Amino acid sequence: MLRRKVVGERIAGRQPAVSSSRADLQSATIVDQESVAEVRPAIASARLTLPCVHCTEPTLCDATQDASRVFCCSGCRGAYDLIHGWGLQEFYALREQMPLSGTSNPANQRDQYEQFDTPDYLGKDCLIENKDGTHTAELAVHGLHCGACAWLIETAVEHEAGLISARVQMSQHSIRLIFDPTQTQLSKIARFLDRLGYSLTPLSSSRDSHIRGESRRQLVQIAIAGFLAANAMWIAVALYAGEFTGVEVGHKYFLGLVGTALGLTAVAIPGRTFFIGAIAAIKHRIPHMDLPVALGLLVGSIVGTYNAIQGAGHVYFDSLSALVFLLLIGRWIQFRQQQRAMSAVDLMMRITPRHAVLLRNDATPITVLAETLTPDDLIRVAVGESIAADGVIVAGETRLDRSLLSGESRPVRAVIGDVVSAGTINLSAPIDVRVTAVGRESRIGRVMKSVENATSEKTPVVLLADRIGGYFVVVVTVLALLTFASWMHAGLSIATANATSLLIVACPCALALATPLAIAVGLGRAATRGILIRDGSSFQQLSRPGTIWLDKTGTLTEGKQCVSAIFGTPDGLEMAAVLEARCKHPVADAIVAAASVRCTDLTLHCDDESLMPIEAETGGGVCGTVIRQGAQHRVAAGNLSYIRRGGNEIASAFQEELLQVIDAGASPVLIAIDGKVVTLVGISDRLREGAHEAIESLRSGGWKVGILSGDHADLVLQVGAQLGLQPESCLGGLSPEEKLDVIRRPRSDGSVVVMVGDGANDAAALAAADVGIAVRGGAEVSLQAASIFISTGALRSLLTLIRGARKTTQLIWITFAISLSYNLIAVGLAIAGWITPLIAAILMPVSSVSILAITLASKTFEKNSP
Amino acid sequence: MSVIYIALPIALMLGGAGLAACIYCIRAGQYEDLDSPPFRILIEDKEKQKSVLPRSGKPG
Repeated sequence: MLRRKVVGERIAGRQPAVSSSRADLQSATIVDQESVAEVRPAIASARLTLPCVHCTEPTLCDATQDASRVFCCSGCRGAYDLIHGWGLQEFYALREQMPLSGTSNPANQRDQYEQFDTPDYLGKDCLIENKDGTHTAELAVHGLHCGACAWLIETAVEHEAGLISARVQMSQHSIRLIFDPTQTQLSKIARFLDRLGYSLTPLSSSRDSHIRGESRRQLVQIAIAGFLAANAMWIAVALYAGEFTGVEVGHKYFLGLVGTALGLTAVAIPGRTFFIGAIAAIKHRIPHMDLPVALGLLVGSIVGTYNAIQGAGHVYFDSLSALVFLLLIGRWIQFRQQQRAMSAVDLMMRITPRHAVLLRNDATPITVLAETLTPDDLIRVAVGESIAADGVIVAGETRLDRSLLSGESRPVRAVIGDVVSAGTINLSAPIDVRVTAVGRESRIGRVMKSVENATSEKTPVVLLADRIGGYFVVVVTVLALLTFASWMHAGLSIATANATSLLIVACPCALALATPLAIAVGLGRAATRGILIRDGSSFQQLSRPGTIWLDKTGTLTEGKQCVSAIFGTPDGLEMAAVLEARCKHPVADAIVAAASVRCTDLTLHCDDESLMPIEAETGGGVCGTVIRQGAQHRVAAGNLSYIRRGGNEIASAFQEELLQVIDAGASPVLIAIDGKVVTLVGISDRLREGAHEAIESLRSGGWKVGILSGDHADLVLQVGAQLGLQPESCLGGLSPEEKLDVIRRPRSDGSVVVMVGDGANDAAALAAADVGIAVRGGAEVSLQAASIFISTGALRSLLTLIRGARKTTQLIWITFAISLSYNLIAVGLAIAGWITPLIAAILMPVSSVSILAITLASKTFEKNSP
Repeated sequence: MSVIYIALPIALMLGGAGLAACIYCIRAGQYEDLDSPPFRILIEDKEKQKSVLPRSGKPG
């Protein structure tokens, strides 16, 4: 509390640096004095506890206090005003959406951060001791939403003594902290950031640093190759110009030597990776693209150097360095794609905690690494933490957020004997769990494994390129030898020249560049149209029609419930609204909204005295006691099975109306007062705009369209009929596991299965489908499971995506065919001795440039296409 | 003696300096995060220097 105050005041104290917030500071100070003055008279009046708006600390305040202006201290008020003054109020709304933000349970989080000071906790890579005695720590940050969060952290961090710098990496969701261990501790910094709404956890693996190192190394090699190629190129231009206009022999010799030096450097430094690959290919006897490249480079270098020293014949340095440069770029693009796919998987790894509290036989809790857990261990899961392993609850009763796996967005009650999965979040009370499966064996682990497998698989066209590349190598090498042998009769120099031109002209660099380039261009263009694609292979899969399953709620429909029909007395609706006003559920919101339209004095019934404890049950309803006009009424509202379970009497008149409601495509909600159903309301969810057209054009494109929903089967059929779908392809009432079964059902024709749904709620189904397309749920969460996220959420974008995917795949085939036929023709000409090494050296980059031009000029994901 | 014997090495050296700068940037990680730097310019430097300079630590 004291700490927070100091921090808050410091934030407030730096306001004068920005002129616009000066007034805020003054008002904050004045209000602070007022609040001191207010304290005494307030003691007599009613007190209640409300959460502080800024830090959610429970704060004792006056009953008349406006809940949106409750502050535990002037520091929080200052920080709040500061954030509002800068127009960053969205920070609060965003923070509340994050289930894992530090605001969930401060006491618990603090406990958790204590371990940050143990040296082994973070692992070797994450905590480095600098020469000047400071420490550098790398941690994962949760709760980052946009650059403003990075800004908030980096600015506020100046106010923590001993913390020297904090650098947020938005793309990695990580933070690098440099601090002075003599002045502060990591746990203290972590708690400080936690109060700002960002929780810290250790980075999940050392893979990040490995990838970063690899990416840097490749970039450096590209930079060197680019430098050498560019310089070799302009020297080559001078030499070619000299061929036509005449050049002094000494100059030509000098230029040739310098160019050869550059070319040899390109082959020796950035180009060595091809030799390494070629040697490995020879060792393992697997033909590899690197082999002809290395051979061409080798022959080119030897002949070029010989010619340069002789001062006669062609020197190949410009084509050599350009070759190395272009091939390295192609490789880097491929690497970047893999890395993106992998970091998405890594994000998923971060969902499951790295540490768990193990209870030993004597019940003493110790913190261990989650990987070290074994089945039959007993772990304790505190509130707000996610469970580290699959298991069975042996003690405690709580509510769990299972949205990641089951798609159930509401908290689920869990009692002793219930099975819990790793990655679910414990919401209300600590539980003890007997571990049954750990890590990769757990449910979430298996899902992640399937995602990982999918991302490591190559697209068929890449596989084809690899396979052709393999034959290519052997064929080209054999052809080069044959050319050499058959031209021997014309003299050694002509034989060498022809064999060399063949090796240069047959270089598959256009072939190697075509696919990754087309995919990269497709990904980039899709992103500008609000379609984020994690996995380039999705293009190929979406290019041919298959089966597409759509989730109903929120995908085909608006996802917002409203009351469409009311039968029975309006009293029931009013009394139900009193109950439902206390619940957070779309159906509850719909009932409250309908009731407030129908009776204006609803608020009178909603005051606290009229409400007795309510029992919200996850099984489809809510019940409680409502006091009305002095009499207590037992009110229950819920679906049919809930009302039946509660032993409520349903009049036969309602049976008919019930069918009527279901026929109209609405979910029936029954309201019972004192054990007797008095009101029936139909709740429905309207179809989204454009849903009909989207389905129509998907079907005309040859796709099989179906609906997979957890909602009532009759409702799903109803929606399907509205959209003109076959009844057998509209599957309702499915549990998440059943959805998975439908998606995994083997297809005889091997066609692709696409799932379109909510990124947060249909995570498992999206991950299991060949292509998962999320239309809601936030990019970060969605891309963990789905390979595509459509940020516009519109079904029209689905058509854009499918059309774009088809065009991209066509483009890949076209460029592939062009580069292959180019190579074949050029090889033929080279064998015939029609191509001199000079022409080969010009043709080689021309092929790459033509591929580049075709790809960039292609019309994939065009703005004016639908 | 032709000027090319001097101009060409000088050109290569200048280009090499550019290459060295580029490699330095890559090694320092400037190409890894392209999202947060635009926001970093919003942080005022004055305050930072006050709190950083007395200590010998170097950020980044």
